[in-house]
Amino acid sequence: MENRKVKLAVEGVSKTFRVKGGKFQDDFLLHVLRRLSFEVYEGEIVSLIGESGCGKTTLLRIVQGLIRRDAGVIRVDGQPVTKPARDRGFVFQQANLLPWRTARANVEFGLELQGVSAKERSEKAQSLLELVGLGQAGEQFPHQLSGGMQQRINLARALAINPAILLMDEPFSALDAQTREVLQREMLRIQAETRKTVLFVTHDLDEAIYVSNRVIVLGAKPGRIKEIIEIPFGYPRAELPELRGDPRFQEIRRHMWNLIRNKPEGEASAAA
Amino acid sequence: MANIASSPSGATPDPKQVNAEAGVDANQIEDINLEQPKSYLWVVRLISVVTIMSAWEILGRRVDPLFMSYPSAIAVAAMDMIKSGELITGLISSLSTLVYAFVLASALGIVIGLLIGRYKLVDVSTDWLVNALYTTPQVAIIPLVILWFGLGGNAKIFIVSVSTIFPVLINTTAGVRNVPSQLIDVGTAFEANERQIFMKVIAPSALPYVMTGIRLGLGRAIIGMVVAEFFTAITGLGAIIVKYGNQYDTASMFVPIFVLMFLGVSLSALVKRAEHWIAPWKETENT
Repeated sequence: MENRKVKLAVEGVSKTFRVKGGKFQDDFLLHVLRRLSFEVYEGEIVSLIGESGCGKTTLLRIVQGLIRRDAGVIRVDGQPVTKPARDRGFVFQQANLLPWRTARANVEFGLELQGVSAKERSEKAQSLLELVGLGQAGEQFPHQLSGGMQQRINLARALAINPAILLMDEPFSALDAQTREVLQREMLRIQAETRKTVLFVTHDLDEAIYVSNRVIVLGAKPGRIKEIIEIPFGYPRAELPELRGDPRFQEIRRHMWNLIRNKPEGEASAAA
Repeated sequence: MANIASSPSGATPDPKQVNAEAGVDANQIEDINLEQPKSYLWVVRLISVVTIMSAWEILGRRVDPLFMSYPSAIAVAAMDMIKSGELITGLISSLSTLVYAFVLASALGIVIGLLIGRYKLVDVSTDWLVNALYTTPQVAIIPLVILWFGLGGNAKIFIVSVSTIFPVLINTTAGVRNVPSQLIDVGTAFEANERQIFMKVIAPSALPYVMTGIRLGLGRAIIGMVVAEFFTAITGLGAIIVKYGNQYDTASMFVPIFVLMFLGVSLSALVKRAEHWIAPWKETENT
């Protein structure tokens, strides 16, 4: 990337939960994240990947300000942030659309909370619905939409507040394989159009490689960075099936898989 | 397109079907997911109604009219009561009390329920009282209510309100407690303040529960109204029942009972429609 301005910085973030032991066990401390640091450059897509329990979703929620951290600093453009603000938009794992609102009203939600006028909201919502390919579905209610369409609305809702950074929490994990690939592609198109900085949580290796500039592989208990992998493919990217045929893709995938499984490189063949 | 060529399942292949294999015969194209016609169910229901009413008519005529009446006699009594205006006056008296007290108690129940559901302090300071009052049979407090309000309309309003408020309040509280935490997260993530979370997330999310509470409250309100009229007021449908009961005029006594039945059924259906209209996404959960 020619422009290496740091957009989002995570500095020494730690998080510990107290787990209630119940009748047969004492309470114990679960170190979810320990002194985690990394940077995301402007316009970059960075994925967080790791086995379940490595704290990737916890980290994303800390960056958004949905939960508190125990130590460390989150910086956006160099300024420390602690609470949700319009510089970060969150795309939830389950679409979490408000079921009593139409698709359009869901997209307008963040703007409505900011007190933006109805006319401006509606224009903005329409252009975003068109951006995510649902220009005709504005008056539908969430229960009338498919899972993939709901996730498109989820993304449009986050984009509506015009955040510089998009935080995406496994947004496509609940979708079927075809829809997932379509939406990954759409996400890349929308990112290319809007130039958002994206921090993307996933447990899908192919997805991480396909969408990212860099992939941060996390280890569990406590969550920490094992390795940051540069993805050598440029944008606009070839389609995923085509990319899968690239030997570099397979090499990165094998390497990531071994990192996640805690296997030394020599045992690679057994792991796949 | 929702059309596919299909054959009746389990049937042996017939010549038409074989033709359809080669080139699709227009007659062989059926809509899938088409609702079975339900009209025959209504016919069955109608037969059931006619059978039971006829049986009642025939058997009812053999019983001493002091103990039991029968449909045609009740219909005649109803005509008399409509002509004299007695039924309409009673109905208006009952309904006006019911609507007034019901609306008042529902509004109060919703507000208190929202506060109890959202704020722990309000909850722990009132839950013992709510439980105690909810479980106390209303009939037990009627002598006290008569002491307070006398035998007039205010006693009726009080009893109906007490009957209505608790189902509404308790269901509203449950609605607030059952707001999915993910939806609260959405509010928080988009910088909603406490008031916005309350008005734009919690209240609409609790609405289907509130409607269920209103439907349950309505049933109890009608019971409360009749009970109140038995003991207190000299007007209303309940008073008419008592009057004809005392006169051993069983056929006339049945008339306000039927009116109450229709009132209950139609008001419930109305609220049910409102539930569907207000919260279409919840229609499968409210039964």
